Amino acid sequence: MKSLFYFLALCLGLAYAQKIGQKELIERAAAGNGVIALDAETFDALTSQKRTWSATIQFTALAANRGCMPCKQFDPAFNSVAKAWSTVSADKRELHFFATLDFDKAPTVFQKLGLASAPVVFAYPATEGPRKTGRTAPTKYDFQDGFDAAPLAQHLSKLTPIPIPYRDPIDWAKHIMTAGAIIGSGILLRAVAPILLTRWTWAFAGVILSLVMTSGYMFTRIRHSPYTGKDGSWIAGGFTNQYGQEVHVIAFVYGLLGLAFIMLTVVVPMQTSAAKQRMQIYLWTAVIMIIYSVLVSLFRVKNRAYPYRLFI
Amino acid sequence: MPMKWASVPLALLLSVTSALCGSSSFENTAIVRTVELGGAVVHVTTTTALKTYTVALGKADREKTSLVEAKVKGQDKLLSYTERVEKDVSLFDVTLPKPLAGNKTVNIVFENIQTHATTPWPETAEQRDDQGLKYTTGLFVLSPYSTLVQRTKLKALVPRFKSYTEPKNVDAFVGDAAVTKAGATVVYGPYKDIPASTNANFIEKYQQPITVHYYHEQPVLEVRTLKRAVEISHWGANINTQDDITLYNAGPKLKGHFSRLEHQMQGYMNKPAPHILPALNLGLPPGIRNAYYYDTIGNVSTSKLRVAPLAPKGAQRSQFSLLELRPRYPLLGGWNYSFTLGWDAPLESSAAYDKKTGTYTVSVPILTPIPGAVVTDEELQIILPEGATDVNYALPFPALSAEIGTHVTFLDTVGRPSITLRYKNLTVKNAQDIYVTYKVSTLAHIKKGLNVAAAVFILFALGGIARRVDLSITPRKKKVQ
Amino acid sequence: MPSLAYPVPTDLSPATVKNTASLFRIVTLALISGAAIASRLFSIINFESVIHEFDPWFNYRATRVLASKGFYEFWNWFDPTAWYPLGRVVGGTVYPGLMATSGVIYYLLQALNLPVDIRNICVLLAPGFSAFTAWATYMFTKEMKDESAGLLAAAFIGIAPGYISRSVAGSYDNEAIAIFLLMFTFYLWIKALKLGSALYGTIAAVFYFYMVAAWGGYVFITNMIPVHALVLIFMGRFSHRLYVAYCSWYAIGTLSSMQVPFVGFQPVSTSEHMGALGVFGLLQLVAFANLVRSHVSSQNFQKLLRIAVVAIGALGASAFVFLTYTGKIAPWTGRFYSLWDTGYAKKYIPIIASVSEHQPTAWPSFFMDLQMLMFLFPAGVILCFRELRDEHLFVIIYAVLSSYFAGVMVRLMLTLTPVVCVSAAIALSSLLDVYLNPVEPDEEQDAVAQPAKSGPADAAPSTASSKSTSSTRGIFGIDTRLVVVFNTLWMLSFFVFHCTYVTSTAYSSPSVVLASQGQDGSQHIIDDFREAYYWLRQNTEEDAVVMSWWDYGYQIAGMADRPTLVDNNTWNNTHIATVGKAMSSSEENAYPILRKHDVEYVLVIFGGLIGYSGDDINKFLWMVRIAQGVWPDEIQESNYFTPRGEYRVDENASKTMKESLMYKMSYYRFADLFGGNQAVDRVRNQHAPKNIELGLPRRGVHVRKLDRPYLPSQERGHARAGSEERERL
Repeated sequence: MKSLFYFLALCLGLAYAQKIGQKELIERAAAGNGVIALDAETFDALTSQKRTWSATIQFTALAANRGCMPCKQFDPAFNSVAKAWSTVSADKRELHFFATLDFDKAPTVFQKLGLASAPVVFAYPATEGPRKTGRTAPTKYDFQDGFDAAPLAQHLSKLTPIPIPYRDPIDWAKHIMTAGAIIGSGILLRAVAPILLTRWTWAFAGVILSLVMTSGYMFTRIRHSPYTGKDGSWIAGGFTNQYGQEVHVIAFVYGLLGLAFIMLTVVVPMQTSAAKQRMQIYLWTAVIMIIYSVLVSLFRVKNRAYPYRLFI
Repeated sequence: MPMKWASVPLALLLSVTSALCGSSSFENTAIVRTVELGGAVVHVTTTTALKTYTVALGKADREKTSLVEAKVKGQDKLLSYTERVEKDVSLFDVTLPKPLAGNKTVNIVFENIQTHATTPWPETAEQRDDQGLKYTTGLFVLSPYSTLVQRTKLKALVPRFKSYTEPKNVDAFVGDAAVTKAGATVVYGPYKDIPASTNANFIEKYQQPITVHYYHEQPVLEVRTLKRAVEISHWGANINTQDDITLYNAGPKLKGHFSRLEHQMQGYMNKPAPHILPALNLGLPPGIRNAYYYDTIGNVSTSKLRVAPLAPKGAQRSQFSLLELRPRYPLLGGWNYSFTLGWDAPLESSAAYDKKTGTYTVSVPILTPIPGAVVTDEELQIILPEGATDVNYALPFPALSAEIGTHVTFLDTVGRPSITLRYKNLTVKNAQDIYVTYKVSTLAHIKKGLNVAAAVFILFALGGIARRVDLSITPRKKKVQ
Repeated sequence: MPSLAYPVPTDLSPATVKNTASLFRIVTLALISGAAIASRLFSIINFESVIHEFDPWFNYRATRVLASKGFYEFWNWFDPTAWYPLGRVVGGTVYPGLMATSGVIYYLLQALNLPVDIRNICVLLAPGFSAFTAWATYMFTKEMKDESAGLLAAAFIGIAPGYISRSVAGSYDNEAIAIFLLMFTFYLWIKALKLGSALYGTIAAVFYFYMVAAWGGYVFITNMIPVHALVLIFMGRFSHRLYVAYCSWYAIGTLSSMQVPFVGFQPVSTSEHMGALGVFGLLQLVAFANLVRSHVSSQNFQKLLRIAVVAIGALGASAFVFLTYTGKIAPWTGRFYSLWDTGYAKKYIPIIASVSEHQPTAWPSFFMDLQMLMFLFPAGVILCFRELRDEHLFVIIYAVLSSYFAGVMVRLMLTLTPVVCVSAAIALSSLLDVYLNPVEPDEEQDAVAQPAKSGPADAAPSTASSKSTSSTRGIFGIDTRLVVVFNTLWMLSFFVFHCTYVTSTAYSSPSVVLASQGQDGSQHIIDDFREAYYWLRQNTEEDAVVMSWWDYGYQIAGMADRPTLVDNNTWNNTHIATVGKAMSSSEENAYPILRKHDVEYVLVIFGGLIGYSGDDINKFLWMVRIAQGVWPDEIQESNYFTPRGEYRVDENASKTMKESLMYKMSYYRFADLFGGNQAVDRVRNQHAPKNIELGLPRRGVHVRKLDRPYLPSQERGHARAGSEERERL
């Protein structure tokens, strides 16, 4: 009797395992805050060949010992998109699922799909029913725009029956900070107005700005160059490449050379003692020669074909 | 080896005996027609007596013919002739240098050059295929006189024939065989005792087209248009020649697509495909400078030029400057390539000045021979210096049209006299010189310099005036800093 | 008599000195012009007189239409061969200034019976105008400081690689004449502002119009002058001179700029132009307020007036915001917007991001293009701050803005170069003024002003402007002078060597023709591009449509004279994406696309044999990316990478990659070239696969590859790679 029961239960279990239906998936999704936590079995069910639903699956490795930093970075974004999806009306919601598959739960799936890195997002289109696309293979989301939620939601909205109603959460702290900064700087402005009204403040700001810009600051910002190389080198090889630290060095070198010229042109002639003046002139000329040589040698590092060199 | 591609030289050697003294009747003792297969040139030789002798060409052959020459064998002098066109034949009445006595024999070489006479067959070929050409002519050399023996030899460059026509209905004339093939030559004949054959009766009964289908291992080239402008400058002591050439490979059209890989493999294995033209060698005049070779989209850097030094005055013509001209791409069957080629040459190499009459004489070559190629259309413009008067020219053979106009160029005021000549179907044989004579007064020589000097002076004067005139309404105030 | 460091002739009359200096100036300017032109002729000497790169080919083609058919035909020109089958209304979508300039020169020379080929006019236009630019920079700098600074600035801009890079002989692009127009308009604006002259304001407007007709970068002037005016107002430097200059420039300039069809009503309907309009309005308000203030003395009224001005200003600003929001005023276009939001282009307009001249600039590019001017530049800015006349503010604003722009986009280095030259010339000329002045100060004499300017000091050729010397004292001794002067001369001569080197190696390649050096140092010309184009021109039907990536569109139109699907005009993203899709799809999927567009020939550039890195396989990812932007379901970038995320072309390449049309066409029979050996792709340093079969029906679609075995380029160092990357990444 008991064995029969077990047998029945096993049969049922098997049948259940093979036929986790849409209903079950809906329940699981609701339980997981819009995300189904998958294992090998449920993965097969969700991505079965005959599915009237579409699905987005995040393959990740969140376990601490895996040390997958991007996974941890991306997970909240994925969950927030899934949560946003769970707010749409049920009839639409049930046509698309969000799911997460952790490597430690089902390494076989990773092997099967030939995944060697995480996180990966696959979007499975519906294969049956009115939303059938004629394709069965999943498409891969490339993290071209980073790990943020907004581009993910935008990308996935092409797959879901209606666009995902995702909105970036309003960052109150940031807004308050900005407002505070504006008010604060307004007050500060009154206090430092005399400084602001002198031309040399502006001269300083303007010159620093152009120095920084002409030292490739925008390059490092747009290309997200690291501050230094992985091996600790601070100067990047290659003509069209540079590290963050180079901006500082080059801006400093330019600034120093410019300063030397200003000194020679403006300050030195005001010196009333002939001997002191002579010393200063030689000093600044030497500064120009040496620093300029350094600059050229730095340039030679970047452009190895450059044929000229100065004292260094 | 002369490369005669687009033209078939055809030589007809006629031995003519006058049958009756004082009468206008002749007998051809032997006619040998030699057709040098390639492109299209025909040589015909005839021997005869008395005042005039008549040679006939079939209608089809006449249409292909671009040049007809007749001479007595062994002599250089050309004989004059007049042409009569009849229903089936064209008759050329050749005037003999001196009347032929009775029963004497004279050998006349009647030469005609046929262009566009061959057709590629098959019409398309793949890159590695052979190039087959077809040539068709009449079996009998027609003549208003009876002929004792007649032969037609068709010579190809390589001893490979695909096929040739077996003549029919010629038993009456044949001795041994109607046609024989030996090496690179196909011989029709000898045919004996042929009656006068320019009549419709004979033509209908016996005359028949014969076709030779042979292999040809050089590309068949056609210069579709050639525009040559020759500009004479006394200021620069320079004669500039510029050719705008449209080259066409008239061989079988390429089937499928061109594979450079295969082309290179053929190059490595030293077995270039017969219908591909990778480069062209041209003989330019000696002593040229500033040669240029470009096309619509710029300079073509794939050419080599070896300039031959100018021969000393009075010496025979020295050797040619050799230009190895390589089109941008190898020219396959059915492909076009147009380009411009030009050079400067010292004026003294082709001009002479007669102090007594004050006349300059300049020789201008009609074309630069491209071996074996036929020039379908040529426009030749000779531009004389500004102010040239008494312009005369002497042509080696008549042009289709000739006119004198005005050409305005570099800082001209009234323009330069220019002679424009048009030709059709020229071959290497036509690469002869035109002689132009003209006078230029001293005033005309320095006119340009005076004009420019005056213009510059006026400009400076105007500038000077403009600077000194104050046009402001109110008197000028001091600058406000 | 002040003591002199070195003897100066005393018996020269001031008139003689003045005339001699004037003659020297003219001669020097002439020499500078000569140097400017000559240094741009490397490309002709090394290669030939040919139009360079991509866009110039379109300009050249348009100029030929203009020269052969006249201006009205050109104006109404509809080009059915571009963007097949859509066509392009050329007259309404170009800046015609460049073509019109060449056309006018052409007709002028024809009228003088000088039969100069239109191609040579086009090729030499940029060097010719660089001489004018040098002159305009001289005039501009003269207004900033004096003639000697002007001459230095002219010399700098004449040979600075930053400007040469866009104006070598053959680079027949809008920038060729635009930089001259930019500098000259600025000069006229400064002149108008200084004199308060409506005449100069009007001439500035006329040249502004010319600039609008010549280059899309006119927006820089449209915003630069208003910003200058605005800063002047905020600094309390409003004057009637400013009012007259600005109003005459704005009114006439804007009205005339709207005559250019491509610009049309933009000056009153897009955000880029709103700043100028706003400042125009503000000036009226301020002028009105000033007028009222000069007539009414009541303090309360003045306060009221001030509030009214601010209120009306605010109202105007909010009206502008409202109009933008409702769409009456077009927001910033993508190209301009991407200057501020640097991530914008990559996300939304990959076509803009794919062009390498839109990449940010690393510091070596700055140094390469401007060398020592780079650090004289801040010194000059500081010196401008020292005097801070109205026109100096202009230089300062220009310097700050353009150094930001140049940092964001390599291409805008061009607008930075003039101000760097001007500013560096001010710095260097001030230095030389101090050290060439023969007058020695009296030692230990405190705070005594410079001796009055009279006698020989006045006659010295390097008379510094009276203002700058009044507060300074001077230099003692001769050795000190020599040290500084020799140091300066040495730096200047190094600059000349640097410029010559950079110009000749990096900026003088036509990119249509490539050169490579053999082992023995002999030069090989690689002319495969033109070979392919000329073949198309001579041996295909005139209406045979050629498909290629958009980079080659203008060249195909110009050199092969055949219809193309897409070209460098890049106005229709979908059409470009269609080509991208065809290239990145498998043959079965690509073929229907090709048939639908009547494509008969496909042109693919493959450099794997000779090591030409700018080939289509290297650009392939952009094709995929752009196609993905329109058909995200069918094309996915990640499918073209190996599972490990690498971009490979060998046996390990992904399946999608291997099946793509581009891949198959590039490597079709490539391995056969190596006989039995392992085929190597020299660009990507990978083994090329064997047995690539191309199933396309050969009857319709021909394939031509540039695969002639030449020696790989040996000398293509970083400098050269840099200049090539300028084109495409």
